[in-house]
Amino acid sequence: MGKIRRLVLDVLKPHQPTIIEWARQLSDLEGIDAVNVNVYEIDQKVENVKVTVQGRDISYDGILEVIQENGGSLHSIDEVVGGALIIDESITLQDHLRTGG
Amino acid sequence: MSPLRQWLQQLREYEDIAEIGEIARRYFAMNAFDGVLTMIGVLIGNYSAGVESARVVISTGLATAMAIGVSGFWGAYFTESAERKRDLDVLESYTLTDLNETKIGRASRAAAIVVSLVDGFAPFLAALVVLLPFFLTSLWGEIYHSYYLSLAVALGALFALGAFLGAISRENIALTGLKMIGAGLLAMVLGYLLRLFE
Repeated sequence: MGKIRRLVLDVLKPHQPTIIEWARQLSDLEGIDAVNVNVYEIDQKVENVKVTVQGRDISYDGILEVIQENGGSLHSIDEVVGGALIIDESITLQDHLRTGG
Repeated sequence: MSPLRQWLQQLREYEDIAEIGEIARRYFAMNAFDGVLTMIGVLIGNYSAGVESARVVISTGLATAMAIGVSGFWGAYFTESAERKRDLDVLESYTLTDLNETKIGRASRAAAIVVSLVDGFAPFLAALVVLLPFFLTSLWGEIYHSYYLSLAVALGALFALGAFLGAISRENIALTGLKMIGAGLLAMVLGYLLRLFE
């Protein structure tokens, strides 16, 4: 079965446990080499974070479990990379037209 | 990892989430203070009534200490549970998920238990310490020595509590200790003045 190498998720989480604890727990998961948890919006009780995980064989279920166990709620899956290599999205003509570049 | 270490690590994690330490410390100081002052009341009452049996003082003292302990545990458990449940409900209204079975829900329940145990044991142990000289009455044979010693222990315990609070607030610990002793002395004087109405 194909392996997931990178996942980018948009998650809403309470302030506690902190993103330090989130990063620690996510990086403890099997098949994960790197984790990045980035806060992009803070509310009184919750914060929105972008979670990026990269590895050899990422278990989506394992990540979901960590998110739910820590009181988070998954808003969207923003990027998935699978296969033997990690590739970024290709820039197309439409992107140039959209950004005016 | 050993079960004990695992349990301690989990408790530390819950402490980070539910901020147990600060509120437990507050409850400890507040209720140990209550325990000592209640025991001063019991001692002055017995002294004024001329009770000369160490057994009677110990019985009334222990029963009172037990009652304050139960009261502390019960009161804190229900108050803390209600407050924490409310906080969890508010948080759930933001996350739109059920947080009961998450780490946050478990930390919240653990906090209520730890805090109520502190709230129950603090006054009970403080009261027990004040009563201690009565257990040793046979050593000096004179019950009034036990009364004076117990009251001195009570004032010492109050000073220690005041110093503890002073250390937390980084104030002059001698001054905060003396302020606490003031409350003990006031309770003694008021209790003793009741003799005037007998």
